[in-house]
Amino acid sequence: MAETIIIALVKIALVIGGLMTAAAYFVLLERRMAAWIQDRRGPNRVGIPLTRIRLFGLGQPIADGVKFIFKEEFTPAHVDKLLYFLGPVVIFVAAIAAFAVIPFGSTLPDLGIEGLRGPIHLLVAPGVDVGLLYVFAVNSLAVYGLILGSWASNDKYSFFGGIRSGAQLISYEIPLGLGILGVVFVAGSLQLETIIGQQARTGVWNVFVQPLGFVVFLVAAFAEAARLPFDLPEAEQELVGGYHTEYSGIKLMMYLVAEFLHMITASFLIVILFFGGWHLWGLTGAGDEVTWPIAVLRVAVLLAKVTLVVLFFMLARWSWPRFRFDQLMDMAWKVMVPMGLVNLFVVAVWIEYGTRLVEALGLHGGIVMAAVGWAVLVATWLALTWAAPAVADNRPRLGPPYAQEEFEERPTP
Amino acid sequence: MNHPQWILVAATLLGAVAMWLLLPRVRDRGWPLGIVLGAIGLGLLASQMPRIGHWTTDSVFLVLAAVTVVAAVATVTFRNPVYSAIWFGLSLLGTAGLFLVQGAAFLAVATVIVYAGAILVTFLFLLMLADPQGRAYYDRIGWETSLSAFAGAVIVGILSMTTISVLTNPSDQLAAAAATDQQRAEGVLGEYPIAGLGSALFGTHLIAVEVAGALLLAALVGAAAIVAHGRVKPPPEIPEKGDPAAARQTGQEAAGDGEPASPTRTHAAAEHRR
Repeated sequence: MAETIIIALVKIALVIGGLMTAAAYFVLLERRMAAWIQDRRGPNRVGIPLTRIRLFGLGQPIADGVKFIFKEEFTPAHVDKLLYFLGPVVIFVAAIAAFAVIPFGSTLPDLGIEGLRGPIHLLVAPGVDVGLLYVFAVNSLAVYGLILGSWASNDKYSFFGGIRSGAQLISYEIPLGLGILGVVFVAGSLQLETIIGQQARTGVWNVFVQPLGFVVFLVAAFAEAARLPFDLPEAEQELVGGYHTEYSGIKLMMYLVAEFLHMITASFLIVILFFGGWHLWGLTGAGDEVTWPIAVLRVAVLLAKVTLVVLFFMLARWSWPRFRFDQLMDMAWKVMVPMGLVNLFVVAVWIEYGTRLVEALGLHGGIVMAAVGWAVLVATWLALTWAAPAVADNRPRLGPPYAQEEFEERPTP
Repeated sequence: MNHPQWILVAATLLGAVAMWLLLPRVRDRGWPLGIVLGAIGLGLLASQMPRIGHWTTDSVFLVLAAVTVVAAVATVTFRNPVYSAIWFGLSLLGTAGLFLVQGAAFLAVATVIVYAGAILVTFLFLLMLADPQGRAYYDRIGWETSLSAFAGAVIVGILSMTTISVLTNPSDQLAAAAATDQQRAEGVLGEYPIAGLGSALFGTHLIAVEVAGALLLAALVGAAAIVAHGRVKPPPEIPEKGDPAAARQTGQEAAGDGEPASPTRTHAAAEHRR
C-alpha cells in the first residue's frame, strides 16, 4: 500500500516537474523559432547569472519565471475578486489534471522492490478505463478558466475574448470527439495504453489508415488549444490581450503556462492516437515484456514524436493568418463535423464488413484499409472543394438608404 | 410509530423552511437562520444515511453529497446569475464524484462532459450575452418562493421516504433484484465496463436510444427552423433611379439580413414589404 502511494507520488512529481520545465523551454523554443522565421536573432543573451556565459539563451525561461513571480500583482478595482482569482486556478488545475491518464512511456521492468511486483506503468493512473473521456472532461473544464477570468475582469476586451472562446471551444469539441471515434472503434478501448498497444501490435499507425480522422482531430486540437490560426480568444491585434487583458504577475503566468500545457496535451494525444505512441518499427518492439534499454528507448521515441508535433504547432503559427470568426464557425460546423461523420461511417462499415471481405479475398488488411482511407480523404476533399460550404460572400453590401440617395444626388464632377 | 421516518419528516420540513428563508426575495433578512436550519436538516438526513461500506468510503460519500446539496442550494439562492451557474457546475462535479464512488466511471465522466462541459458553458455564454452584470430586477429575486420551497420539500420527502422504507424492510423481490458482488465485479468493475454499457444501450435498449436520438434530431431541426424563420432573402438588385422608397426598403432588408438572431426586425421588414 505504502509503496503504491510512493510510486504514484514519484510519478506525479516527475510529470509536473517535467511539464513545467517543458512548458518553460518550449516558450524559449517558440521565441527562437519565431525569430528564425522572421530573420531575427531571438532571446540569446541570458545564460549563467553574474558571469558572461550566454549558453545560447538557455537561462531565458528562468529569468522569465523570476520576472513573473516578482512582478507586482496588480488587481484592478473593478474586478469580481473571487472569480478573478478562480479563473487562472481552474484553467491551470484542469490543464495539469489531464496528464493523470496520459502515458509518457510504456512500462518499466520489475524494480525488485518488495510490494511492487510486476512492471510499472509509466503513467500516473494506470488502468483507467475511461482514460480518453477523462481527458476530454478535464479539457472541457478548462474553458471555465477562460470564461470566468474574462467575465470577472469586467472589461470589454476580456469579455469579447471570453465570448469568443466559449463559442469556439464548444464548437470544436464536436469534431474533436468525432475524430477520435474511429480510433476508438479500431482499438476497442478508451484506454490510451491499449490504443498504443493495438497500434504497436499491428504495426499500422492510425494516421495511415484513417487520414480523414487525423485531419479532423488535428484541426480540432489546434482550435481547442487556441493556437494560431485559431487564437481568436486572445487576438492581440483586436483585443489587447483577450481574456487575460486584466491579469498580471503570477496569475498571467498561470494562464500562459496553461495555454502551453494545452498544446502539449494536444501533441501527446495526436502522437498517442495517430502516430503509434512509443512504437517505432524495428526499434522498440511491441510486446508488454520490456528490458531496461527498450523501456528507455520507448520513452525517448514518444517524447521525440511529441517534440516534433510541438514543432509543427509552432511552424503552423507563423504559416497561417488568423481566421475570421464566421470562417471559424463555418469550418467547425460545415467542414469538420461532416468530415468526422464520414470518417466514422467508413470506419464502422470497414469493421463490420471490410475485415471479413478482405480475409475472404486473402488480401493484406492494413494496406487495403489504408487505400480505402486515403481514397475517402481525397473524395471528401473533392466534395468539399466542390460544395465550398465555408466560402462566404463578405463583399460590402448596399449601405443604409441615405447613403444611396446621397450617392445619387451628388453632382458628377 | 416508526422512528427514522419522523426524523426524515423533520429534516424535510426544516429544509423547506430553510429554503424559503434562503431564496432571494425583495427583502430578505432571514438567511442566517436559514443556513442554521438547513445545516440541521442536512445533518438529520445524513444521520439516517445507511452505511455503504468502509468508513473511508462513507466519509467520501458524505463529503461529496454535502458539496452537491450545498452547491445546489446555492445555485438557486444566489442573486448573481453567473455565480449561480458556477455553483451549478460545482454541484455537477459533486454528482460526478458520487457516481465515481459507486464505481460508475463512465457516468461520472459523461456527466462532466455533457453537463459541465457543454450545457453549462452554453448557459454562461447566454448569461453573458443577456445581461453581463446580472443587475436586472427580474434576475435578482426568486418568484413563487413559498411554492417552490414546498414543491422541493415534497419531492425530497417522497424520495427519501421511499428509499428509507426500502432500506429498512427490504422485500425479497428487491433483494433478488439487487446486484450481487459477483455481478458487480463482472459488470461495472470488470475489465471492459464501457463495452458492456455500449452493448446494453445498443442491444437491449436499442429502441429507446433510437427514439431519444430522433427526438433530439427533431429538436435540432426545430431550433434551426425557428432561427431561419422570417429571414429575408438577400436583396441583390440595386434599385431603379428615382425611386427612393424602393431604395430605402432594400436598404433596410440588407441591413437586417446580416444579423442572424433578430427575428422581430426581419419580421417587421417582411410585414412592411407586404
